[in-house]
Amino acid sequence: MAEQMNHIQRAVASLQDQPVDRLTTYPLAMGVCRRCVGDGTMKYSDWVSDPKKFASAFIAGQKAFDFDFAIGLMDLSVMAGDLGAHVRMDDQNTPFVDDPLIKNPEDYEKLHVPDVRKGRSHVLLEGTRQFVDALKNDVITAGFVEGPLLALTQTAGAEKVFMDMVNNRSAVHHALDVMTAFDVDLVKGFAEAKPAGLVWDYLWGNYSCLGDAQYDEFEGQHKYAGKLNKLTADMGMAFCIHNCADLPHLDTQVKKFAPAIYSMAYYPLIPGSPAPKEVIGKGYADKCLIGGEIDPQLFVRGTPEKMQQTTMKLVQEVKTALCARGLHSKYCIASGCEVPPSVTTKLENIATCVETVKQYGQVDCAK
Amino acid sequence: MKREEILAGIEKAVVGGKRVDAVKLSNEAIASGIKALDAIDLGMIKGMNIVGDKYAAHEYFLPQVLLAADAMYGALDVLLPHIPKDQLGKRINVAIGVVEGDVHDIGKNIVKTMLTAAGYAVNDLGRDVAPEKFIASAREHNGGVVAMSTLMTPTLEGMKMVMDGLIESGLRMKCKCIIGGAPTSQEYADDIGADFHAINAQEAVVKLKAAL
Repeated sequence: MAEQMNHIQRAVASLQDQPVDRLTTYPLAMGVCRRCVGDGTMKYSDWVSDPKKFASAFIAGQKAFDFDFAIGLMDLSVMAGDLGAHVRMDDQNTPFVDDPLIKNPEDYEKLHVPDVRKGRSHVLLEGTRQFVDALKNDVITAGFVEGPLLALTQTAGAEKVFMDMVNNRSAVHHALDVMTAFDVDLVKGFAEAKPAGLVWDYLWGNYSCLGDAQYDEFEGQHKYAGKLNKLTADMGMAFCIHNCADLPHLDTQVKKFAPAIYSMAYYPLIPGSPAPKEVIGKGYADKCLIGGEIDPQLFVRGTPEKMQQTTMKLVQEVKTALCARGLHSKYCIASGCEVPPSVTTKLENIATCVETVKQYGQVDCAK
Repeated sequence: MKREEILAGIEKAVVGGKRVDAVKLSNEAIASGIKALDAIDLGMIKGMNIVGDKYAAHEYFLPQVLLAADAMYGALDVLLPHIPKDQLGKRINVAIGVVEGDVHDIGKNIVKTMLTAAGYAVNDLGRDVAPEKFIASAREHNGGVVAMSTLMTPTLEGMKMVMDGLIESGLRMKCKCIIGGAPTSQEYADDIGADFHAINAQEAVVKLKAAL
């Protein structure tokens, strides 16, 4: 079916819950799109180390798959690595911290904000600038950054931080001040790149890990996420959230934080994990554009036929729920988390997801 | 202190995540003639079961669970050496680890804690564990449970390598194999020939108890 709106028109209309020609779609294909560049053999370790290579994946991915958005997720070890934690860089695997920086409570005091013009912060910021420049007239672009609590757990080790939240509370708060200051510098750097939005990874706002009170104390309050959310908007970018954990703190992160977009996952086997129709039915899509919730593993292990069936099922569920709620377009058909950037991910499944939404994603509540 | 006070104190120390108290009271238990196994069953495990229930009910969250686990391990360090070896041998061995190429271990550590509290002898292989190490542990303990975890898709293949290795070494039928972690599923467990998939620590304990 011929598209009646371009990507930007559709995305903007969706953000405002205006009628659209079809639902927006964005399987979160970031690192995997390096396989769309040239002969497809770019190593992951090269992709995360060179701004031009980083940007090239988004440009090639857009050409290959025709997404409605482009979000510049690199990996979740950028800040930790620049703070001094050792990051393992395999050829074809997401980088990860294999030797946390914090061994003793005194080590929290040694954390200092690095220069974001160096290290992988620079790669991320400059790479974002390059793909934003290339794609800004085609799609809504956004940068991607770790929230302060996530950055701290990556740097220090999650177990250590969670235990120190009780045993060494002030040390953790001092470290979060440093993470927030680092994030402030990154926000300013992203603003120079001029993406339309900035996506925050606030992973630890989930009931499998933290209760409301602890999440509020260690990220949610004004001096951490609150400050960063406001700064993002003040610097001219739409503030968005990605949280692919199970049982997210939706009341805090959607109703209280009020992002423009909330990207989330669904875990059908976990009691209480909200299905898309529940998320819409409970009013969270009234507040923002919700994105999700196809199982990322389907892109690796599924067939195109299965991907089409799953996407169609999600589209139907979303359309029914939107219409019941009196909404037009406040849902983006996406993966619940990043499409695995593995060499075994089937690129044809990404294409199938997008094409299925193009074919079946029209919302007509009168029908 | 009386026996009941000591045992209740160990339970309370675990529930409250107080490692120092758990260690102190465990030492008192031994000094006052309480059997180590009683201190474990009637104090430590009782406390961890309360912690597990509170976690499932979303009254406790990870900080409380991790501190409780820390207290539990502190108590175990004191108590385990006092358990007669013939009684230790009756516990089912679980070799648990994060597969090769991955170091994300918080989920694995929670599962380890719950399995320890459930009475299994847990052999923590750590993280970034080569397939041979899982197989070697199964060989050393003539079977038992092999529990594998990963958070990343590229490292899923390591689980299949372990399963294939168990078959090749003739150990597969002596083991129960369970997998967990974000990219895993029962479908994947079926594909690689593992027995179970668990979505969380509580389910891991339930499934293994039902099977063994």
